[in-house]
Amino acid sequence: MSKQVFNHPAPQPGEPTGPSYWRSLDERNKTPEFRTRAEREFVDGAAAISTVERREFLLLMGASFGLAGLGLAGCREPRNHTLPYSKQPENTIAGVATYYASSFPGELANQALIVETHQHRPTKVEGNPSHAANGTASSKLAQASVLDLYDPERAQASQDAAGAVLSVAAVRELLRKLSAEAKANGGAGLAFLARPSTSPTRARIVAAVKAALPQARFVEYTPVAQNRADAVLGARALPDYAKARRILSLDADFLGSGDGVVEATRAYSAARRADTAAEADAMARLYVVESTFSLTGAAADHRLRAASSHISGLALLFAAEVLAQTGKGGEANALRAKVSGLNVEEKWIKESIADLVLAKGKALIVAGDHLSADAHRAVAIANAALGAAVRYVQAAAPAAGTIADLVAKPAATLVILGGNPAYDAPSDVDFAKAVKAAKQVVRLGYHGPAYDETSALVKEAKGTFVAASHYLESWSDGRTVDGSYVPVQPMIDPLFPTVTELDVLAPFAGLTQEPYALVRETFNRLSKDASDTAFAAWLAEGVLAGTQYPTYADMLMAVPTAAFKAPELSAKSLEVRIVPSVHAGDGMYANNGWLAEAPDPLSKTAWQNVILISPKLAKELDVEPEAMFINKIGALNRNINQLVDGRLIAKVATLTVNGVTLKGSLFIMPGLADYTIGLQLGFGRRVAGRVATRVAERLQGKLIGNGFDVYPFVTSAEPSVRTGVVLALTGESAPIANMQDHWSMEGRDVVREGNAADLKDNQNFAKLGIDGHAPAVYGKDEKMSPADKAILTPRGNSAYEHPNHTVAPNVAVWKGHEDKFPLLQQWGMSIDLNTCTGCNACVTACQAENNIPVVGRDQVLKGRNMQWIRLDRYFFDGRDQAGNDIPTDPQVTFMGVACQHCETAPCETVCPANATVHDDQGLNTMAYNRCIGTRYCANNCPYKVRRFNFLDYNKREDGHYYEGPLGPAKLPKDPADLPQLQKNPDVSVRMRGVMEKCTYCVQRIQEAKIQAKVRAKDSADINVADGAIKVACQQACPAEAIEFGDITDPKSRVSKAKASTRTYGALTYLNTRPRTTYQAKLRNLNPKMPGAILIPLSRKEMAGRESHAPAHGAPSHGAPAADGHGHQK
Amino acid sequence: MRKLINFLTGAAPRGNFFRRSVNSVPLQVLICLLVTVAVVVAGINEYATNKYLNVGYTPEQPVAFDHSFHAGPDSVLGLDCRYCHNGVDKSAHSNVPTTNTCWNCHSQVKSDSPALALIRRSVETGEAVRWVKVHKVPDYVYFNHAVHVNRGISCVECHGRVDKQVVVGQQKSLNMSFCLDCHRNPEQFLRPVDKVTDLGWKAESPAAQAAQGTKFVHDWKVNPPQSCSGCHR
Repeated sequence: MSKQVFNHPAPQPGEPTGPSYWRSLDERNKTPEFRTRAEREFVDGAAAISTVERREFLLLMGASFGLAGLGLAGCREPRNHTLPYSKQPENTIAGVATYYASSFPGELANQALIVETHQHRPTKVEGNPSHAANGTASSKLAQASVLDLYDPERAQASQDAAGAVLSVAAVRELLRKLSAEAKANGGAGLAFLARPSTSPTRARIVAAVKAALPQARFVEYTPVAQNRADAVLGARALPDYAKARRILSLDADFLGSGDGVVEATRAYSAARRADTAAEADAMARLYVVESTFSLTGAAADHRLRAASSHISGLALLFAAEVLAQTGKGGEANALRAKVSGLNVEEKWIKESIADLVLAKGKALIVAGDHLSADAHRAVAIANAALGAAVRYVQAAAPAAGTIADLVAKPAATLVILGGNPAYDAPSDVDFAKAVKAAKQVVRLGYHGPAYDETSALVKEAKGTFVAASHYLESWSDGRTVDGSYVPVQPMIDPLFPTVTELDVLAPFAGLTQEPYALVRETFNRLSKDASDTAFAAWLAEGVLAGTQYPTYADMLMAVPTAAFKAPELSAKSLEVRIVPSVHAGDGMYANNGWLAEAPDPLSKTAWQNVILISPKLAKELDVEPEAMFINKIGALNRNINQLVDGRLIAKVATLTVNGVTLKGSLFIMPGLADYTIGLQLGFGRRVAGRVATRVAERLQGKLIGNGFDVYPFVTSAEPSVRTGVVLALTGESAPIANMQDHWSMEGRDVVREGNAADLKDNQNFAKLGIDGHAPAVYGKDEKMSPADKAILTPRGNSAYEHPNHTVAPNVAVWKGHEDKFPLLQQWGMSIDLNTCTGCNACVTACQAENNIPVVGRDQVLKGRNMQWIRLDRYFFDGRDQAGNDIPTDPQVTFMGVACQHCETAPCETVCPANATVHDDQGLNTMAYNRCIGTRYCANNCPYKVRRFNFLDYNKREDGHYYEGPLGPAKLPKDPADLPQLQKNPDVSVRMRGVMEKCTYCVQRIQEAKIQAKVRAKDSADINVADGAIKVACQQACPAEAIEFGDITDPKSRVSKAKASTRTYGALTYLNTRPRTTYQAKLRNLNPKMPGAILIPLSRKEMAGRESHAPAHGAPSHGAPAADGHGHQK
Repeated sequence: MRKLINFLTGAAPRGNFFRRSVNSVPLQVLICLLVTVAVVVAGINEYATNKYLNVGYTPEQPVAFDHSFHAGPDSVLGLDCRYCHNGVDKSAHSNVPTTNTCWNCHSQVKSDSPALALIRRSVETGEAVRWVKVHKVPDYVYFNHAVHVNRGISCVECHGRVDKQVVVGQQKSLNMSFCLDCHRNPEQFLRPVDKVTDLGWKAESPAAQAAQGTKFVHDWKVNPPQSCSGCHR
């Protein structure tokens, strides 16, 4: 038989030659380097041994074989021991996970959680469905917080001024002494500096401290305040995204950052779900005005790029328009008159507000926290006029005083509770001065002097360092976004002798109770029923019903008075917008490997921050010959984002404002406001742990933080937006750990999109593109039901044998009794691109659940990142025949791609070791112990979802990978072994040389099947109920975009999702028959808007490819075998 | 040697240097090699297996617990397996009992026995007794006890007659083909669910077992996994 060559359909004449969807500028412009990169499964050099020369390698191998002979002496297994408990703890069965309710502490809101523990060792967190607002969902930060518990560099003991270890008892003694001293003089000269907290217990103790020590100061500081509007209005706005049908976001990233992001995403996504014409009418519509590209902007139906410093003025104009259209013309004109210097498209404001006014009662305007007080006042007025879907609640009174006061009037005794002010204080606040001026300093911190700037500073100032407990080791409490009272429960005794914030504060209030008793006391005050049973019920449930914030009506509704003059922006005078990074937050999570490695959803960088610039700015900087960004034919000059050997090499530039200069790598981000620069906080740590600092230098004993520190640009007055910034190229270049070109789909149209209106008149939009005219892979069996297709896997017109799930192979007892054979449930997944916001929670949840290693920056640069879920971000800019316009205003679609569990999987046929084979429930399984690492499967996977353990990522430290057995191993007693405690005991920890990929969380499937059979005992009721299996990504997804279950049951949620008109499969024309299918994205267009993109840009770009679809089957189309589809018989 | 010296120094050779018998050397070497390889392969096949290496592994335990005295209906005490291994029907693991399980009885009976010194110490200090693990499958195998004992597979199938053992040792190979034998022929092993911990129970005859087993397979819809995912995750 001759070899059949399959060619992906070639572009037709007149079809755009660029890819319809692109992830990087290199891909868009089809640069030669990109092609080389894409053609290789792994980056050039990914498979090369870096530090060991080939000869040396052979020498070592020879030596190893010689030694192996000696090692054979002991053939028997080592003696293993079983160590049972001495006294059986309550509710513990060895091997059964126990779940406890708790919450992830935030500064504005806690996140209700369920924590999975294995023999009291927390391994994973999930959302607590008892708190309906978040369901089972949780954020990326909450998911990653488990890893922080096992941070090998967390402080393991308290230290006094001389560096001697302090026991917990000694710490308590010291606090008693300090509080007695303070008591003597009414707290004069005593000051506390803490992070904001939602804990009612802490609030109660702080009030008690203030009562007991009237002269003591209690100051709260956080670099990224989320409640600045609270002070303006005297109330906190709680937008109701589930109810709102028309939302206007003014630089507010409610889907991307902040403490309420899970609840907001869940509510918003529910309002976006649509499968029928009626649902399309009720679908929410989102208008976004923003400067940088945020997740909210990516989700927008209409997005207006504007500088952040202009949006405070725009807010006034939008509010004025609302007033004008609701019959308050006079007030509107007064508002408008205050704004000058803004050049904005009037029609955008007019039409969007008209749409909002039309949806009166279900409209909503949200404003970013960094906007001016006047902007917040104007938005409140506009929301009132719209009868907006927003509820106001009484905000906690902000703590008196600021961190600047502590420097201006230093305290004699300073108690620093958490945070890291030495790193994240505004640049105009010399925090070190406050510490050095104090006679006594007590610092409660999670990281000790070796790994934390503030702890180091305190040590320098002869202060006391007190090691803090993790929240999974602490008793505390908190409130969720809506105010519901939730506990923070310890899952494990503190791993090290550490104390909590409540332990430190309580003595100053004259309280001697332990945190547990303090929380119990608070509960007694908040709960109607203060009995032990009620308390136990609260801990079990995780939420106290009826404790939401009461609605508050006495907001301060003032009319903006000050005039707004928009600052002039140009390539010479830029604006920067500073946001917390997705990797490190404000620096708090800088030592968390999962977060560091989870790519930024939009820029796709990991392990560092970058200077985001707009393509227009890149072009304008062209004035300097050295900074040639756009070449003669108009394509972006690849001196800026340049792929060399598959790595992104970027130009390095400096940013200067008021004499302060930062230096970082440039990254062109399509969709940025023209003269806005995006910067991310949390990097450039000076004293930090292994994740936050560069490996190579650390091995030489030097600490250099990843990325660059943005705090020099943060001032008390302007923490988020600075103007008048000058950018200059340095002439240097540096690689960026960027994943956007890893595992490229090479422009194949795997993404489908439509408008909400398509649900009425073009129901087949998801079937367009290549599948519209691809050969029907089921052939004559196309009409079979989905259940039959899954079980019988009909061959259609295929020449090859297909798996058959109707029989049990090799089981004699079923032969002749096939009628009684229990047809197995068949697993499948559906991912809704419409509700997915690209938040990355699934990526981190998957990493936590499946023991996926963190590989480090150098390995990411080599294209060896291991996350099983690749959350692809596609840009498309609607360029039709015009060619290489600069993609200033692209649309974005996210598409999570993990193993598709193809029924006829290409990977399986090429494995020489039979290590990847199909199971009888449709899973494409990996038997790690069989894998010999040929990587053929990865080469043959059209979805590029297989990940290879090039090195012993689980066993060795970054920086010692290449030393193999000669390097230091993570010994069981090494503190570096702490992260091993997080590992999920139900999943194999993979070793070097093994291929891995998404398993559909096979451990959860097996557990559910086993539980069903355990319950069934000697009955036939063995099927797993729908919903009993929630895979990790599905459980974490705040948008509920993922459904998983039995596709043979037409009533299961996944079957219903798959029956949607929007359902399509990616690359199905390859006859892979993926078990994972997608639901096309919908955009809810307002045709009256200026620049309304009537057809999603993706569709527009695919139009050329679809052009010959109607002709398919017509005689002129030619014989099927000759049309390039390759479906020869 | 002399012949060689003569050959090198002497006049032109008058005959063949090698004797005729040398012609068969290659064949001899080949046969020898084949035999060696065959012996090595057969040896590895026989000896480097769980069956040879692990069956019979009977380590000494820190406390000489006698199963034949405590466990099973024929023993002196007649305890059910699940009195001590109480997680076996709920968990993947069959737990080794905690010290307080021992102490439930031994606080009353023979509490001063020198044989129980380690148990007493564990009760007093909270320190674990370091029992030696006997039955162990590799780390990449996820065996689940609960699903087997709840669905009519007796302890005896993998552990043998523990109720007859003074010191517990491994009696079955516990390798993959051992697992698959049962997963492919479940009817030979299934028994009524209430007889699971009755290690001495046997169907009246092999034919009776086959008939009963087949009925169980059909009625309970028993379809033991044979795919990788059944045991490897």
